[in-house]
Amino acid sequence: MINKDLSVEFLGVHFENPFCLSSSPVGNCYDMCKKAYDTGWGGVVFKTIGPKHFLIDEVSPRFDALTKEGTPFVGFKNMEQIAEHPLEENLADVKRLKEEYPNKVLIASIMGTNEEDWTELARLVEEAGADMIEMNLSCPQMTSHAMGSDVGSNPDLCRKYCAAVKRGSKLPMIAKMTPNIMDMVPVAKACLEGGADGISCINTIKSVVNVDLDRKIGLPIINGKSSISGYSGKAVKPVALRFIQQLRMGEGLHDLAISGIGGIETWEDAAEFILLGATTLQVTTAIMQYGYRVVEDMKNGLMHYMEEQGVDRLQDLVGLANANIIPAEELDRDYIVYPEINYDVCINCGRCYVSCYDGAHQAMEWDKENRKVRCNKEKCVGCHLCALVCPVKAISKGEVVLKPGRPGNPADKKV
Amino acid sequence: MTKKYAEEIEQAYTVITVMEEAQRCLLCHDAPCSESCPAGTDPGKFIRSVRFRNFKGAAETIRENNALGGICARVCPTERYCQKACSRCGIDRPIDIGGIQRFVTDFEARANMHILRKGEAIGKKIAVVGSGPSGLQAAASLLQMGYEVDIYDKNAKAGGYLRYGIPQYRLPNEVVDKEIEHIAELGAQFKLGVTVGKDVTMDELKAKYDAVLLAIGFSAPKVLPMFEGSEIVETAVSFLARVKESKGEVELPQNIVVIGGGDVAMDVVTTLKVLGVKNVTDVVYEEFHEFLASKKELRGAQELGVTIIDGYIPAEFADHTVTFKHRHIDSVLKIKTDKVILAVGQKAEAENLGVELVKNEVTFDGYKTPDAKVFVTGDIAHGDKTVVYAVRKGKEAAAAIHESLGGNK
Repeated sequence: MINKDLSVEFLGVHFENPFCLSSSPVGNCYDMCKKAYDTGWGGVVFKTIGPKHFLIDEVSPRFDALTKEGTPFVGFKNMEQIAEHPLEENLADVKRLKEEYPNKVLIASIMGTNEEDWTELARLVEEAGADMIEMNLSCPQMTSHAMGSDVGSNPDLCRKYCAAVKRGSKLPMIAKMTPNIMDMVPVAKACLEGGADGISCINTIKSVVNVDLDRKIGLPIINGKSSISGYSGKAVKPVALRFIQQLRMGEGLHDLAISGIGGIETWEDAAEFILLGATTLQVTTAIMQYGYRVVEDMKNGLMHYMEEQGVDRLQDLVGLANANIIPAEELDRDYIVYPEINYDVCINCGRCYVSCYDGAHQAMEWDKENRKVRCNKEKCVGCHLCALVCPVKAISKGEVVLKPGRPGNPADKKV
Repeated sequence: MTKKYAEEIEQAYTVITVMEEAQRCLLCHDAPCSESCPAGTDPGKFIRSVRFRNFKGAAETIRENNALGGICARVCPTERYCQKACSRCGIDRPIDIGGIQRFVTDFEARANMHILRKGEAIGKKIAVVGSGPSGLQAAASLLQMGYEVDIYDKNAKAGGYLRYGIPQYRLPNEVVDKEIEHIAELGAQFKLGVTVGKDVTMDELKAKYDAVLLAIGFSAPKVLPMFEGSEIVETAVSFLARVKESKGEVELPQNIVVIGGGDVAMDVVTTLKVLGVKNVTDVVYEEFHEFLASKKELRGAQELGVTIIDGYIPAEFADHTVTFKHRHIDSVLKIKTDKVILAVGQKAEAENLGVELVKNEVTFDGYKTPDAKVFVTGDIAHGDKTVVYAVRKGKEAAAAIHESLGGNK
């Protein structure tokens, strides 16, 4: 079996691999975190610890899932807030985990309602032995507007609370961002100004996932009502990747230390986050659906990817794709690449014809009698919707043609 | 073993598993499956409805086209029609169209849907003779056009071979009942236990109705002369009816020879195995490459441990021993047996119906007999003898009657 070094250094802390539980129901107590460590996770972000005076009172039920055809958990909705155990118990768990697993990373997630809370919680988790602090500035389903994503969308509050945390602890600290915002850069910068060392993103997206059609209530139903709350899972991956890219493109942020979160369930997802600039990775939804064991294939798959890429240090992959995502106005618009149909592979289903006609430019022609498609280059704009809908991947990139009057050599285009 | 006989052999899809199967569908343009159903079913449309979670719409697509949609879902040899045409064959295996259709028609029943609508009355009355699949479909089509329809059948219950022939594990009578119920709701009157040509004459029917449709099917078994009069010989028609009526409560010996290789023969041998008969030997005239039964039924029989010997013709029968000779090679096979079941074909019983049959079929194409008031459909009309063809012919015969009686004028 392949064995490659997946270790990374993140804000001065050594992770044996980049995979961590995110602060959520999956890291809620000693037993859970112990099992996760034993299964091979490199780190745990312990479920957010709040101040003593803020009582957690959860609803039942508290989850929902978006499905599509035969696929469960396209996306996942969660109404649970921060850790419901008493502060002392959480701190005792952190202490015990660190004692028993000194080589695994323990990140304490904290959330206060005011500066005093933040400072005190930071002090307490450092005292308990945590390696790092993550500030939860982003939970979208808190029952207090002084907490969660209402705070995380306000740069001034973020700056103030980050400074408060730094007053309580010298540990490396990352601030966890909410995606329920247009531009994350000002918030992230405010956090860095306040003393944050890095950023974790994204937390969940505010959502209504399903509505019960008979009862006319969102799901899940709590005594006849429901609420907007956080959406996660595979469906949010594109949103997470976008925010990470935008952060790394922010002025002065191209080396920003990022812990990537949002729909990671395969090694491929993990590699995408790393290529866009995440050094560590956090997972919840895939664990809630499949268990801690998902880390086995993420780690092994990532090792094989490193082998294929000829990379010995995972860190060497961090951010390699950032430079290749550029503003739309800077893209090369001088050429068209036409689809090429491999008729040996084509099974004549006509899906490309349907989508080209109804969703593109009516360039695919359908020979009804022979059930054969043909691309009419007079009409084709090279959008490649056809290739995306083809169920057998019979359509690839073919001839490259310059638009009339445009400079360059078609052979030079990296299609 | 009667429990095994009474329960459907094919497992039904659930809402979850049917979505998985529907997801495999490529949703083709000009879906080839939809052009391959003899009865005009449009799987491309109803599977798309399932894919987009519109189960009720899917049921409408099936039912409006085929009054026996739930039956066809179970008994149609889809491998020869829609599933053979399926584009997914180019990737791995076809979509289980029959299985999805069964899910949809079961859903229709659970949702207590009543899809078919009686047509506006046009004041004309049709007699349908025979309540097998073709007669039932013709009746449903005519009722939707606004005709009054009486259905005559010599048996005590309606359904013909669907009820008295196809084994319970493949087609439960409850499914047959449900489809007939829908047709009765459209206003069909059933005259059961009445043999036309005996209890009531054709002339009487012709006087009473605007048209008479003969859908008598092949209800009588063929018997090879050497087996006539033997106490240990039974016909497939008799055997299958006896087992289905008694819900599998029959006494059977442990060594049985079956002769025949069509779908009826497969039903017989499979039923015998399901009922626990130890040695079931099926001797077949056709060789495997020219086998008549559907591959699915053949495979089912083989999986249950039926011994199938192909290419032999019975030559002699004496003292519980059947002697067979091979059709092409010099080979003789002697089998001593406790019982022989003959599944060597069926024939029409058309006495006093005033219609000329040659080799059990009418002598003309189509559905109009020389008598302007009399029409034919089902097995005695030209064309295949499967349930799906019976449905097609039922629809076409109804259209022929409608046209002859002046259409919508």
